[in-house]
Amino acid sequence: MAEIVFAAGAPHAPGLIGLLEAAPADVKDVVTTTYRNLADAIALAKADVLIVFANDHLANSRVRAYPDFLIGMAAEHRGPFEWFKPWIGCEDYTVKGSPEIAAALFNGMTRRGIRMFAQNENLKFDDNISVPVLLTNIAGSGIPMVPILQNCTVPPIPDQHRCYAVGKALGDFIRNDLPSDMRVALLGSGGLSHEPGGARYYFIDEAFDRWFLDLAASGDHERLLNELTLEKMEAAGSGGTAELLAWVVVLGAIGSKPGKSFGYTVHKDFKCGIGGVLWDMNANLPKQRAVA
Amino acid sequence: MGLEKFNPALAIHDLIQDLKWSVALREEFAASEASVLDRYPLRADERHAIETRNFLALYDMGLHPYLGGQFARLIFGNEAGKGATIAVNKLVESLQGKGSVA
Repeated sequence: MAEIVFAAGAPHAPGLIGLLEAAPADVKDVVTTTYRNLADAIALAKADVLIVFANDHLANSRVRAYPDFLIGMAAEHRGPFEWFKPWIGCEDYTVKGSPEIAAALFNGMTRRGIRMFAQNENLKFDDNISVPVLLTNIAGSGIPMVPILQNCTVPPIPDQHRCYAVGKALGDFIRNDLPSDMRVALLGSGGLSHEPGGARYYFIDEAFDRWFLDLAASGDHERLLNELTLEKMEAAGSGGTAELLAWVVVLGAIGSKPGKSFGYTVHKDFKCGIGGVLWDMNANLPKQRAVA
Repeated sequence: MGLEKFNPALAIHDLIQDLKWSVALREEFAASEASVLDRYPLRADERHAIETRNFLALYDMGLHPYLGGQFARLIFGNEAGKGATIAVNKLVESLQGKGSVA
């Protein structure tokens, strides 16, 4: 049985790279502490593959033919896509892919009734993949990555229950279809509250963010699925906050585990609340806190 | 102002995607915007709103806000902390009631 050895959720706001240097010291401290801890945990986990779920941000497909989940099957993932480079302000990177695991994932999810799409060509990555890859040193670690870009913003959006079900199928795939000695890392990339392109572009819902971080770290998935509705996420920042659904996929895969946050910060220029959670894959919570 | 007005049939969605994906089209748009707009089946009010940089009107028609933010960057600037900040401020100014920010 393959094992999930790392699971985390973290934001990917572009300002975390291009605008970090100019941010106040206390903001920088939370950002660097969060991503350094995640980078260390990934390295310690000695994972054979990292599967990253992240909002596609309408980067790869037209609005009238929009996949809910798009798997990157390339042997090599290069980013960021040309137009996003000055916006993110980051260097080019190349991360090894895993076409074999990506293909197995596509087939495994299909067999489990989960419609995904997959593409052999390099996907167009913006901040969704670029920020976590660079801030957690995935590019330098040599760990192969399978990116899965998901629909968090084009109605109808797969809601928290659907994303959790996708995560449960993912967990089943990992444990039953992958080689028994394989070590798998999972990252949900996105959030916290933000409203990109909206009239409240600079709005950050600090109360929502702190509530969400505590809930995500609690391991209480029943409460999370009851309360983390699309309506609540839209109220906390339309078109952006719902990318926390990438975290929900990861939670569905790992089941109820306690997590640890490395602080929370807001900075107007980031236009996004910042904080991550690393879940303890060695812990087991009482079964009643998980969702059957 | 969220996703409730989203109208995926609007041709501006394709225009924005194509501009993002093609350096050559961006250069052509900068040099001769009208000739690029001619190639898309835009509604008259949709085209007028594009030409007058009226994001508020475009959102009322159903432009997806995420692409609206990117369209503002395509027009006003895309560089972190510089043109992108101008773009965000122009967009917000339009959406908060000003309408045209040409």
